[in-house]
Amino acid sequence: MADISISEQDFLIFREYFYRKTGIHFETNKRYFVDKRLVERIKETGATSFQNYFRMVRFEASGTEFQSLVNIMTVNESYFFREEYQFKCLVNSMLSEITKNKTDKAPIRIWSVPSSSGEEAYSIVIYLLEHWPDIDKWDIEIISSDIDTDILNRARQGIYSPRSVQHLPPELLKKYFKPSGAGYQICDDLRQAVEFTRVNLMDVDDVRAYRGFDVIFCRNLLIYFDDVSRRQAAETFFDALKPNGFVCLGHSESMSRISSLFKVRKFPEGIVYQKPEVNK
Amino acid sequence: MPIIKQVDSEINDTEKRLNARDFPGLLEQLESNDPSARRWAARDLATHSEAAKALVQRLKREDDKSVGEAILTTLTKLADPVAVACLVECLRSEDVALRNEVIEAMKNLPNEVAPIMGSLLTDTDPDVRIFAVNILESLRHPQVETWLMEVIKNDTHVNVCATALDLLGEVGTLASLDALQNLKLKFSDQPYIIFAADLAIKRISEA
Repeated sequence: MADISISEQDFLIFREYFYRKTGIHFETNKRYFVDKRLVERIKETGATSFQNYFRMVRFEASGTEFQSLVNIMTVNESYFFREEYQFKCLVNSMLSEITKNKTDKAPIRIWSVPSSSGEEAYSIVIYLLEHWPDIDKWDIEIISSDIDTDILNRARQGIYSPRSVQHLPPELLKKYFKPSGAGYQICDDLRQAVEFTRVNLMDVDDVRAYRGFDVIFCRNLLIYFDDVSRRQAAETFFDALKPNGFVCLGHSESMSRISSLFKVRKFPEGIVYQKPEVNK
Repeated sequence: MPIIKQVDSEINDTEKRLNARDFPGLLEQLESNDPSARRWAARDLATHSEAAKALVQRLKREDDKSVGEAILTTLTKLADPVAVACLVECLRSEDVALRNEVIEAMKNLPNEVAPIMGSLLTDTDPDVRIFAVNILESLRHPQVETWLMEVIKNDTHVNVCATALDLLGEVGTLASLDALQNLKLKFSDQPYIIFAADLAIKRISEA
């Protein structure tokens, strides 16, 4: 097969299309990263040129190749305090709004989905304990869900590699973890603080019971869904939230591209989405 | 620690089924005064293939956005000829938001929309023809370029052709070049068409 090359024009067309479909924008300095992966997929699929490949991606009914492209263009790595700005937003902005409007003393409920191996849910707990001044005034429930029961078991065990915890300040690592083999295990108190449950977001019967949440974290998951599944997930979050509850998505994801159900809220720490009180 | 744990059984116990979830029960709930009940009925009707007509009837007078979205998602999942016909009917609505939602929904149904695309692209209403081209923008179907070429070849409405032309500039191949040249002749008094056609031809030729 002749060498496949990606021209400047090809890159621009691809970048524009990929942004339209996923919300992920590649700066020009990412050109090498994008070109390399595009060429890899072109060769893998047996396409003879960027043009042929691009047409296949756009018009393949199953969307399988587009999904492969999304997978290869995104980096799926979970670690403690990933996208920390949203935890800051939680303790500095969202929770103060939630508690201000609360008319009862019921627990504040947070849903982290997908749980993966638990880094996000435990990060939320640590962040609340360390940075939320009102932590002693309110009860908090944290539920973390995933479709994969093996990964849920790993989350419950709470054992992590040094790479997973590398963004944690040393004093927090010391405070909340104990050494375990070549890595660390999160302390029993935190392991007991989070409820890990199996749920398939696409199964209406599975998600029906998930109601009354104040905040949902769903970061870097919807990017792997097709359009219909994304809409369905947005509807699930809508039904799971209390009025005025918040959804936090990954930095490259935008609810506005998926559904018009939510209001965009711009806080100093970042953008989140809010379920309106009334849906007119 | 103020972080309290809720056991799994409590999560599930929070769900109380107050109404029958069979087809007649869901149709009744679809007319409830409570938007939340209507939304859940719309979601649960996704497992009832005969639900499309009732869903569209509700959609036309639904004033709660969240229920409208749930109905459209369910119609997209049902994806049978009745559901698709109902979506097409909504393309003719004067409600811009509804039309846009329907266009987005139809983009997700390449195999179901393909058999009716020919008739949408030759509809007597130029707005419907433009919406059909809008659907093609993200329709994953190998015939997209052919449909677009037919539009710029046969359609006499400049706005319909301009919409198709913009898309051909993105997805066209050498097969489109003749049709693009002819379009310039057909609309030789329209500077935008000339400009956009030249751009598309340049892009395709250089690819």
